[in-house]
Amino acid sequence: MSDPILSLQHVHKSFGPAHIIRDANLDVLPGERHAVIGPNGAGKSTLFHLCSGQFAPSKGHILLNGREIGGLKPAEVNRRGLARSFQITNIFPGVSVFENLRLAVMRKHNLQFVFWRSAARLRQVNEEVDDLLGKIRLTDRAQTLASQLSYSEQRSLEIGMTLASDPQVILLDEPMAGMSHEETDYTAGLIREITEGRTLLIVEHDMSVVFSLAHRISVLVYGEIIATGTPEDIRGNARVKEAYLGEEAA
Amino acid sequence: MKFAPLLLLATVALLIALPWLVSGSMLNAAVQMLIAALFAMAFGLLCGQAGMLSFGHAAYFGVGAFAAVHAMNAFGGAGLLPTPLLPLVGGATGLISGLVAGYFSTKRTGVYFAMITLALAELLHALASHLKAVFGGEAGVSSFRMPAWGIGFGSLTDVYFLTLVWTLLCIGLLYLFSKTPLGRITLGLRENAHRLRFLGYNTHALGTLIFAISAMFAGIAGALQSMNIEAANYVVLESHISTAVVLNSFIGGVRVFLGPAIGGAVMTFFGYVTSDLTRVWLLYQGIIFVLVMMFLPRGLVGELVERLRHRSGQGVARSLGATLLRLLCLAVAAAGAVFLIEFLQRFLSSEYRAGVSEGNWPAISLFSYDWAPLSVLPWAVGLGLFGLGIALVVTVNRRVADRQEAQA
Ligand SMILES: Nc1ncnc2c1ncn2[C@@H]1O[C@H](COP(=O)(O)OP(=O)(O)O)[C@@H](O)[C@H]1O
Ligand SMILES: [Mg+2]
Repeated sequence: MSDPILSLQHVHKSFGPAHIIRDANLDVLPGERHAVIGPNGAGKSTLFHLCSGQFAPSKGHILLNGREIGGLKPAEVNRRGLARSFQITNIFPGVSVFENLRLAVMRKHNLQFVFWRSAARLRQVNEEVDDLLGKIRLTDRAQTLASQLSYSEQRSLEIGMTLASDPQVILLDEPMAGMSHEETDYTAGLIREITEGRTLLIVEHDMSVVFSLAHRISVLVYGEIIATGTPEDIRGNARVKEAYLGEEAA
Repeated sequence: MKFAPLLLLATVALLIALPWLVSGSMLNAAVQMLIAALFAMAFGLLCGQAGMLSFGHAAYFGVGAFAAVHAMNAFGGAGLLPTPLLPLVGGATGLISGLVAGYFSTKRTGVYFAMITLALAELLHALASHLKAVFGGEAGVSSFRMPAWGIGFGSLTDVYFLTLVWTLLCIGLLYLFSKTPLGRITLGLRENAHRLRFLGYNTHALGTLIFAISAMFAGIAGALQSMNIEAANYVVLESHISTAVVLNSFIGGVRVFLGPAIGGAVMTFFGYVTSDLTRVWLLYQGIIFVLVMMFLPRGLVGELVERLRHRSGQGVARSLGATLLRLLCLAVAAAGAVFLIEFLQRFLSSEYRAGVSEGNWPAISLFSYDWAPLSVLPWAVGLGLFGLGIALVVTVNRRVADRQEAQA
């Protein structure tokens, strides 16, 4: 078995007296699509916040390509090759859709402190933005203010911005929440396509998406990973059924 | 849309022709207006584009002003720093002090950021009164503009052109800046710094840099100011300078590119005209600010741009008519308000109080009439005009709304 690209080792996170993540252990393998499922409030988003630098773990280690990233700043984590989307849409509302994506793409080209070139003439950047616009089906909306997009369009933009930095590891937190069936199907296809050659860690509530998309699934309940395995393993796992899937079916 | 460049060209042409068109005192006011416009643009970069509200921009304006005066004295307007290049010194000192102040203040956001900028500016102001060697104490530091490059710089016209060239150059640079990658990221900083961090940007470094660039242009404005009056006094570090640039920029519209410049120029012109006419012109300035914020929160230019963007082809003439009618009604209300304010100001002034003896209230002369303060008439005129104007505006608004409803 190859070394994990992202590895959580005995990770704890508490907010004051509340222990939200308790001894989470998770290995995400290079190239796999790995889903995290679990009931609401289990700590899935918190886990993503820990991996992406929003929070520092209270205890334990988070390794990306074998190097510690637990406690690093979000920008540093991003530069090491991990990008994420947010469950609560987190975009640049007062500028155009095009501008939103361009902000995401420019960083990849190391255009941070550049004030001697015209942004409109960055051919490579603008081409990549157009390409992304097509992929997330927002070409027609390129000049619209992001705040004026419909909810599901904003969700697509959220995904587009996450992809823009061309990351090795992508974390998507409930990307399809609030999308229609058709949009969900399309987005699932898109995620499959763009994560080719990358590693995906995804939180999603739509079980049909999870079971068709993921190579492996981890189940998080009360801040603990109670099982990790292939979709078949998880479907057959008694503890999971009891803790989560059974609950859903009931 | 070929309209904007034409308008711009016409404005620049007018500005170039101005010395031959207006009186000396008006030209002097124009110099002040240009400086206020540039200062407001510097502030607008930080506040409007990067979303960081500074309450201490007088510090960088003042630093630039003092630096230029000292440089004028040190170089005598010759050698490495001839007179026309002195604003560079203001810009450089503004940039450096902006880097330092920006490093600390951009560690926080929102109210805390504003408080740090305020505190830093007050700190400098307090220091300035003690550091006599640098800030010249009560008297300030004075100097003389020396001739350079075959230009005398003694006349007001020369100073006007110096200020004009620098102001236009800086505004042009700010415009180009807004089109660069860093300029676009500045908007991202305003819109959602949190997301920028997760895209890999170093928001603290970006914030510091934007702060410093803003302070640099503020420093250039300050240098132009001290070159104009050939002196600098620590009054330029006072908080009312910081406040004025905030108010001016918001009145013009802090988020649209030329909004702050227009706000700065208009309000400086307003001050120039009204400060001779009335003692309470600061009150009027305050009222204007409150009204603009209440009814035109995007600012004068911001609102104009918004209207133009959403105009419907045929409705232009009609909405223009309605707007003119509204303005007319508002003018009536304003006349009433001005009457009341001026009357009250005279009525409450200590001079008038001194003239009042038991039961004897002398008439108050206002707008070439003498009004008996205890009669109904002056109050009726003021309140009546004001009420009439407001009632008319309300009627016009209702009519317009009815018509729009009928169309829909
Ligand atoms: N910043 C925080 N401070 C305190 N409690 C938090 C914080 N963030 C999340 N929590 C708590 O942690 C628990 C897990 O939240 P979350 O990770 O969002 O769950 P999930 O994404 O699995 O629905 C919730 O009970 C939530 O109230
Ligand atoms: Mg969540």
